[in-house]
Amino acid sequence: MTDQNKKYLRFTIARRLEHILLILSFSTLAVTGLVQKFSLSPISIAIISFLGGIELVRIIHRIAAVTFFLEGVYHFIVMFYLLYVKRKSATMMPGIKDITDALGSFVYNLGFKKEPPKMPRYNYTEKMEYLAMIWGYVLMGLTGIMLWNPILTTKILPGEIVPAAKVAHGLEAILAVLAILLWHFYNVHIKHWNWSMFKGSLTRHEMQEEHGLELEQIESAEPEPEMDLKVYQKRMKFFTPVSIVFAVVMVGAMIFFANYEETAITTVPRVYAEKEVYVPRTPTLFPTQAATPTPDLALANTWDNGINFVFQQKCGLCHGEAGGLSVKQYSDIIQGGKDGMVVIPGKPEDSLVMKFGAPGSEHPGQFTAEELERVRIWIKNGARK
Amino acid sequence: MKRKNLLSSKHTLRFLLFSFILLIGVAFSSLKVAAQSDNPQPESTSNVACLSCHAEATNPVSLPNGEQLFLQINVTDFANSVHDRNEVTCVQCHKDITGFPHPIKTAKSVHEYQLQVDASCVECHEEQANLSKDSLHGILLSQGDQNAPTCSNCHDPHRQPYIEEWGKVEHSQVCGNCHSEIFDEYAASVHGEAMIKDNNQDVPGCIDCHGVHEMPDVGTSEFRNSSVYMCSNCHINPDIMGKYGLSTDVLDTYVADFHGTTVTIFEKTEPGQMTNKAVCYDCHGIHNILSVNDPNKGLAVKENMLVACQACHPDATTNFPSSWLSHYVPNKDKFPIVYYVTEFYKYLIPVVLGGMAIFVSSDIFRRLKLKFVKPKPAETEPETEEVSNHD
Repeated sequence: MTDQNKKYLRFTIARRLEHILLILSFSTLAVTGLVQKFSLSPISIAIISFLGGIELVRIIHRIAAVTFFLEGVYHFIVMFYLLYVKRKSATMMPGIKDITDALGSFVYNLGFKKEPPKMPRYNYTEKMEYLAMIWGYVLMGLTGIMLWNPILTTKILPGEIVPAAKVAHGLEAILAVLAILLWHFYNVHIKHWNWSMFKGSLTRHEMQEEHGLELEQIESAEPEPEMDLKVYQKRMKFFTPVSIVFAVVMVGAMIFFANYEETAITTVPRVYAEKEVYVPRTPTLFPTQAATPTPDLALANTWDNGINFVFQQKCGLCHGEAGGLSVKQYSDIIQGGKDGMVVIPGKPEDSLVMKFGAPGSEHPGQFTAEELERVRIWIKNGARK
Repeated sequence: MKRKNLLSSKHTLRFLLFSFILLIGVAFSSLKVAAQSDNPQPESTSNVACLSCHAEATNPVSLPNGEQLFLQINVTDFANSVHDRNEVTCVQCHKDITGFPHPIKTAKSVHEYQLQVDASCVECHEEQANLSKDSLHGILLSQGDQNAPTCSNCHDPHRQPYIEEWGKVEHSQVCGNCHSEIFDEYAASVHGEAMIKDNNQDVPGCIDCHGVHEMPDVGTSEFRNSSVYMCSNCHINPDIMGKYGLSTDVLDTYVADFHGTTVTIFEKTEPGQMTNKAVCYDCHGIHNILSVNDPNKGLAVKENMLVACQACHPDATTNFPSSWLSHYVPNKDKFPIVYYVTEFYKYLIPVVLGGMAIFVSSDIFRRLKLKFVKPKPAETEPETEEVSNHD
């Protein structure tokens, strides 16, 4: 009875912390990555808005990626320690037994076999996940670094590698997330809740079901003999420098890839680079005419020296070619209009212009009193050209 | 004719509105409606009276700033204008004129004079006038820019025929009057050349992209982020693209790529934020768009593409351009690596997940059987058996 509740330690605190780090970085990567892969879905848009925009989402993705990468580096060093220094057996390595275990479980599940297979410390479901994790780590790491550094990548590799990396990165992400949801969630959460990654241990009953072989080994095996100190120190002499070099190289590589290239300019590309916006065509809709000098009215009181200007200003609008009268030329004005002589040299009182052009007359166009006086003097003086 | 009917139905509506407002006796409103009437001067001066002088008023008037204000109306052009054809009288727009002599003009420049007279446009063209106020031109006008166009700069009221009677060439040349450098650049582009040489009406003229009266500021992030749809409006239309053998995948392939994804997300999540990811015109140009096969600038030529890339990616080298799929959907011949990677996952994902699903289902099957199927007396349940073993 009490045996059933006996706890078997499976994961030390350091391993459990690794797992928590993995959960955090993996979920962050999954969320911030999938919203980019399925960026047009309204759910993605909502998440992107919530996280503060796509640029920020990409930064978060990269921070999570670096965390994930460094977690992996640490894990490899721990593995190296366990396998090389401690000479533990590589319990995660898949073998023939895992295939027979998988088939055995399957046949047992279907009811064709009475007994389930007795499985080792890591059974086939866990090995499958672990290997997928390593495969994903390498593939996502490589393709991710390429996408982060497309200019560096295309200096070495053909350009097509970049979109290929993008496709692989996205599809591998889908595979990884779905596998976690289906395989991992079913096996450690839905089937029954497995606490070993948080509390560290499994009960005897759980051990029997999932790690029967390991349980037998634990119960039958002698306690491990203490390692000889000299052997340990000798191995550490190799392990310590190698792992430090490995860590430095990997961390250095990460720093390099995170900072190496400025892929694109950070400003908006210039749009109006070449042409001036406002360049009116000539001639414009309203062509400018050569300016005529404004005559000095006081200078001389002749037709050419100012009187013409007065007539054209005040009468020219109507009395062009038509209207019975033209004020364009000296000869025209002397000739007069339909109603008779407009200007009779020397006789302002008989000239029609003095009647029509007087201020207050009924004629549409009128001179000012000052202009009328000028015209009167001009006519009086012989209406000289 | 159609226009006339529309106008008269507008009149009917206005009359009804007028009557209604009179009925409820809101005096100030009725005044306002009266002011909006198209016929402010029932016994108005006829056009004949005006044209008797202005048909031949060849002498322009000098304005204080030295500009010449032309007074002559070309009778033939005016007779063809939409205004004369709808019997709009001169004094409907030139409101200050009631007879001769005319009141002294206060405008110091042609621009100022146009602004004064164009105040009349809004009475009949309210929608367009209001749209223009919010346009880039309208904003410049309100800032007092002397070069900004008023209504009559684009629509010469004495010549403008029905807008539908103009083709794209005429429309675009109106813009070219002030934007001549851009017009000349456009005229040499693949769009402009087709329009001007072949009178092609499929290609965009100025107003197809810039709008007419609403004419947005092209410098805004909203314009930039949504410009993609402006181009794709035609470029994903198989009826138009089919004629020229152009791909209609351009939008989908763009949106699927990094630039397009980012721009689309910006457009949806923060349209007011400027993204520097390339939109169509960053690579293809704006007024100077050429065929992609053009040997000097066309993007199908890799060297030209690299130049285009380097505008934003200054460090890009020879291989960089082909990291963009050039609007192709990858297949065995075009971008085979991308194609085969996709194919690989097309099989890998279902195989892996399917395999997992089979194992998971078998386990569910066993557990359900344990729960619901009572064991035969001879057989014991595996789980209880195990438990009893260790009791």
